[in-house]
Amino acid sequence: MNPAQFTVDSRLDGDTAVIYPKGYLNNLAGESLVAECGRYTGKGIRKIVLNFGGTGLINSIGISLLLQIIEDLRTIEGTVCFSDMSKFQIDTLDMLGLLKHLRIFPAESEALQYLGAGTV
Amino acid sequence: MPFNSIPAKDFLNRESELAYLRRLPEMKSDGLTGNVILQGSRGIGKTELLKQLYCTLFREEGAIPFYYSFRTANLKGNYFARDYFARFVRQYLAFLRKEPSLAENVSEPVQKLMPLISSLGLEWLLECMADFEAHLDNNDLYWQVVAAISAPLTAARKGGSPVFVMLDDFDAAENLYESVRGDAHGLTSLFSEPMKNSLCPHVITGASAALEAIFADQALIGDVERLRLGALPEDLARQLFRSLLGKLKLSCAEGETLEFLRVLQGNPRYIRNLAATARKMQKNNLAEKDLVECYSVEVSEGETAIYWSSVLSRNTRDVAHRRVMIKLLMHAVEGTGVESERLSRVMGLRESETGAALDELQTSGMLRDKDPLLHDVIRGLFLKEIEGRTAEQVRETIEKKYTRVNTESCFELVIPMEVNAELVAAGAVEQIGKNLGLDNDFLSFLQLALIEVCINAIEHSGSHDRRILVKFISRPDDIEITIESAGRPFTLDSLQAVPADEKLRNGQKRGWGFRLISGIMDNVKVERVGDRTRVMLTKNIKRKEVLQ
Repeated sequence: MNPAQFTVDSRLDGDTAVIYPKGYLNNLAGESLVAECGRYTGKGIRKIVLNFGGTGLINSIGISLLLQIIEDLRTIEGTVCFSDMSKFQIDTLDMLGLLKHLRIFPAESEALQYLGAGTV
Repeated sequence: MPFNSIPAKDFLNRESELAYLRRLPEMKSDGLTGNVILQGSRGIGKTELLKQLYCTLFREEGAIPFYYSFRTANLKGNYFARDYFARFVRQYLAFLRKEPSLAENVSEPVQKLMPLISSLGLEWLLECMADFEAHLDNNDLYWQVVAAISAPLTAARKGGSPVFVMLDDFDAAENLYESVRGDAHGLTSLFSEPMKNSLCPHVITGASAALEAIFADQALIGDVERLRLGALPEDLARQLFRSLLGKLKLSCAEGETLEFLRVLQGNPRYIRNLAATARKMQKNNLAEKDLVECYSVEVSEGETAIYWSSVLSRNTRDVAHRRVMIKLLMHAVEGTGVESERLSRVMGLRESETGAALDELQTSGMLRDKDPLLHDVIRGLFLKEIEGRTAEQVRETIEKKYTRVNTESCFELVIPMEVNAELVAAGAVEQIGKNLGLDNDFLSFLQLALIEVCINAIEHSGSHDRRILVKFISRPDDIEITIESAGRPFTLDSLQAVPADEKLRNGQKRGWGFRLISGIMDNVKVERVGDRTRVMLTKNIKRKEVLQ
């Protein structure tokens, strides 16, 4: 687990925003992640990749805020993909029966490729 | 009686204290020190030290020892005065004649000793006895008590040798009464005159808090120093136990390390009582599991249990009061704190009642943090007298606790209800898991479950003390995490696990915590302890989860 202070970085790759949440994903961190996504959707971006490679534990409130992001994107007919999740993170989502509601890719490049294929 | 001390060779680790006290008459005479209060937890050996000191002085020709135990004394004023006076006269004569039997024969009227007193030329003592008889005839309690208490000082002045007074369980003297209990407060202040005199060094024992209160009294305040008796070191505790077993014709199993004796915290009384129980149970060739068995008997129905129960009885008025005291003690043992305000709410008592009861428990010496045996006795009392369990059930409960202890590691942590404080608890799980060689994913799940319970407490408990107690117990086959916090209760029934599809359909994004906890852990239990919620999480450890 990485208990370091949560940070969120992002970059734009064409018409897709790639966001890097780093650290422990709880309520405060989740809200800043939601805000970061909102910053891009506010500019008309409708494709988002969340790269969890630097994320440690995601608590239940963090999970609920991820669902908030999915819903926000769905509202604007956008798509969010998750990438670089650890086995533990995937198992956690599986435990909650959420996997089938998410688009999860082993690597960021695969997520970008999927979004670039125009499946929005 | 002071002569029924244990053999000097079995009186371990008190050489320096004994040597110091032996010099007390000389030091007091030179104005170098005053009287001494012996401090130390019950059973640590204060009475035994007095008896050893008595026997040592008895064999010598210096100060004349006088020992008096208030524990067994009749505290009705006139009985006490007669008893104190008569015992002093007997012990004084026994010393002069070097005949212990003179001191021990308490059934013989002291008047029968008059010929002996005359033959020793102690005219002043005869006068002293006559004066005392006159006070008895006048039925004057005050002067009876004064005459009795002053007898050692009179003897020191008239006889020419200092009299070393040893007052055991002196705090009980506060309960001296004339006709009914509580009608003669302040009689202890009459001890001030002999205590202040350089010819009469005093050594005093009793419950520390009660003695502090007595010696804060204006009449007694002053030249008193405190000598603290500590526990026996582990090696000496084991040595004492083996020696006692030897005397009882018992032995330990080959190579037995007696690790379990640690639970007795080097308390000589506990060690003696455990050895005596081993004899009663006819245990020979003792192994660790036999010790645990003897211990569970001892703390549930043995001498130690009776001893502590009687200490409690001395401080309780009736059955209802005793039940309140036991419940308060149990709160202390469970580590839920003994704050008067909170306990009053939990127990439905007025705060003044709770405060008074806590004061009484403090004075009795039963509120002690570092005495696992006493805690087990209290658990036993609680199970028997509050929950109505049988002695056998109590024994089994205690035994079970310790048969698991050998393979357990236990850690406790208190975290504040602050942002990210749950990560501190999660960090502890990580290290504990590493110590056990558990793999990372397994540990991450444990951390997540713990985090969920902590944030539930932080978000929903509404706790005023804003603290969460986390306890980890790791065993070879499982790990148990207990999370406890004050505040609003919750039950598992209130946490329904709604299927994910349904939640998402209904736009419910929150409420995944319990599903995570129950998905991760093998057993989840929620209890209410007073005003606190206790969540117990258990996770079994399978071989594949341990890194090779």
